Amino acid sequence: MIRSTNPPAADPESRLRPGRYGIAIAIAALVVLALVASSILNYVYLDSIPSRASLYGLLAVALITLGTYILVRAFNRDRAARRKHLIRAAVLIGLGVLLWLLVIDVFIFTQSAGPVVAALFALACVPTTAFGLFVVRRMDRNHKEPWRLVLVAAAWGAIVATSLVVWGETVWESSAQHTLVPGPGLDASLAFMAGILEELAKGLAVVLLYLVMRNEFDDIVDGIVYGAAVGLGFNFMESVSYMTNLYSIFAPEHFGGLAAGLQWYGRQVLGLFFGHATYTAFIGAGLGVARQMHGRRQKALAIVSGFLIAISGHFSWDAWATFFPYQSTFFGLIEIHLRTLIMTGPFTAALVALLLAGINFEGRNMQDQMQKEAASGSGAILPDEVPILASPIRRLRQRLQAFERAGLSGYLKVSRLQTAQLDLAMERWHRERKETDTPFEAEEELRRRVIELRHWVTAA
Amino acid sequence: MSAVTYDQLQTLYRTLLVFATVAVVILSVGLIEFVYFEPPGQTSGVKAHIEGVFQYDPTTQNVIGPDRSQFARNEQFAAKVDWASIPDNLTIDAKWYDSFGSIEGQVGPGSPGRLAAEPLVPVTVPPGFHYVLPGRYTFVVERLSDGVPVEVLGRRYVVVNRS
Repeated sequence: MIRSTNPPAADPESRLRPGRYGIAIAIAALVVLALVASSILNYVYLDSIPSRASLYGLLAVALITLGTYILVRAFNRDRAARRKHLIRAAVLIGLGVLLWLLVIDVFIFTQSAGPVVAALFALACVPTTAFGLFVVRRMDRNHKEPWRLVLVAAAWGAIVATSLVVWGETVWESSAQHTLVPGPGLDASLAFMAGILEELAKGLAVVLLYLVMRNEFDDIVDGIVYGAAVGLGFNFMESVSYMTNLYSIFAPEHFGGLAAGLQWYGRQVLGLFFGHATYTAFIGAGLGVARQMHGRRQKALAIVSGFLIAISGHFSWDAWATFFPYQSTFFGLIEIHLRTLIMTGPFTAALVALLLAGINFEGRNMQDQMQKEAASGSGAILPDEVPILASPIRRLRQRLQAFERAGLSGYLKVSRLQTAQLDLAMERWHRERKETDTPFEAEEELRRRVIELRHWVTAA
Repeated sequence: MSAVTYDQLQTLYRTLLVFATVAVVILSVGLIEFVYFEPPGQTSGVKAHIEGVFQYDPTTQNVIGPDRSQFARNEQFAAKVDWASIPDNLTIDAKWYDSFGSIEGQVGPGSPGRLAAEPLVPVTVPPGFHYVLPGRYTFVVERLSDGVPVEVLGRRYVVVNRS
């Protein structure tokens, strides 16, 4: 931890900084404890989950968590050490994925549908989820998040968050079904369960990114991107389990494929951005606003607000979607779309409004910083480059021109230069607002890197 | 830091607070809904005696064999209730719910005396299907107040296997 530097950090006296990593470690420890407890309880008590699958699941989660940690940290190391760490991370994640596949082969619902059906349904959900992640990452027009973190967020949503909620939801659901009157009261209780437990489990990923990867978590736009990525990961896993479950229930009546197909359409097409992606993006929005607020009270209120909006959105869908029944006719297809639009549409519209305002806020400030950097005469950003860097279309045009001149190599070099210049503008913005605890040398290093890249581009 | 920039962040922050206020209202409505359908202090102390869940023959409308908790898909089944175990001044009904929460069989509402002629509550095969759907089924005997079920007097679970 850097306590004092010369030249000084933007906010060397930050009182929040020392506790950040401590909070992250405490949350990570709680997550691991919850997963251990969940697996042991599943192993001992749940007949519906094969015992071995539960323990394999725990091991898979541990391997993927460790692998992704090494992967993320690898990029902060020098080139020589990076390769070694990347290989380690790949081996661990690969082992984890293999074990995870074993789990979904035998896990609750796939047990009856069979591993082939489960694998086919998982494959059917890959292109749509990948498209969702591509779109979500592209939303950050000014300063895109690294793919590795977006994928880590999605993996958390798919594997860790779903594992975290299994036991909590089992206990809540079981006790509610044993004590409450079936009907709207029970439905409301189960909707509270899904809203609270699932949003907390998904939101933990965004909280950890906020605490640990502060350099890649700049503002509300980044928060929305990470939150939506976690939601898309969760939606992927939930889609696979619902599809296999419905397939196994309706296959003997020869409706299995149709039931699974409708489920795929509802979750992977119609609800791709409307459901989990929207809810968890609100958690990210809250954390993103907190990232730039200065007072502890305002930070806390922003974070709590994000969670409250996510929980209420999730709750309202689970509790009240049944108030809009649809007929088993052609008109029913229209009703399904209308229901999603009416129930989740307002939440998605509110999120889009926040996103657009965030993009505008970020874009204007980055342009301001680019102009200041250009005026400083450092050579990192030239006055002529400011309007190009401020416009995604013009940046793309500049890269394509480089492609025409020097092929893919030229395209990539210009791309790296633009990214480094945008990184510098972002660093300047945070330093001006006193919301970074990295020393001034970090900004100087970015400036040196931009100038170095500019030499490469010129040479090409 | 310019005042304009600061105001933009404040605008985002305040917008988030407004949305959070709406969220609190939504969650409060949910809580009110829960309390309306699960009103506190509705414990009568009455327990309905469910004699068992048996295989059911729809042609003879009679039950066959012993009390069971698991059935095959091609077996129909019915719950047998001892209505005399419930005081006659109560309004009650009995329902079967499938794993999706849909009602798949019902008698009542009415007084136990009126329902005495219907001791068996069979699960019905959904229209268009050959057999009942697999999954967990819940049978409940409910007490009603002003037409709303407020208390479960008896409950049984059975599992219909997929194979």
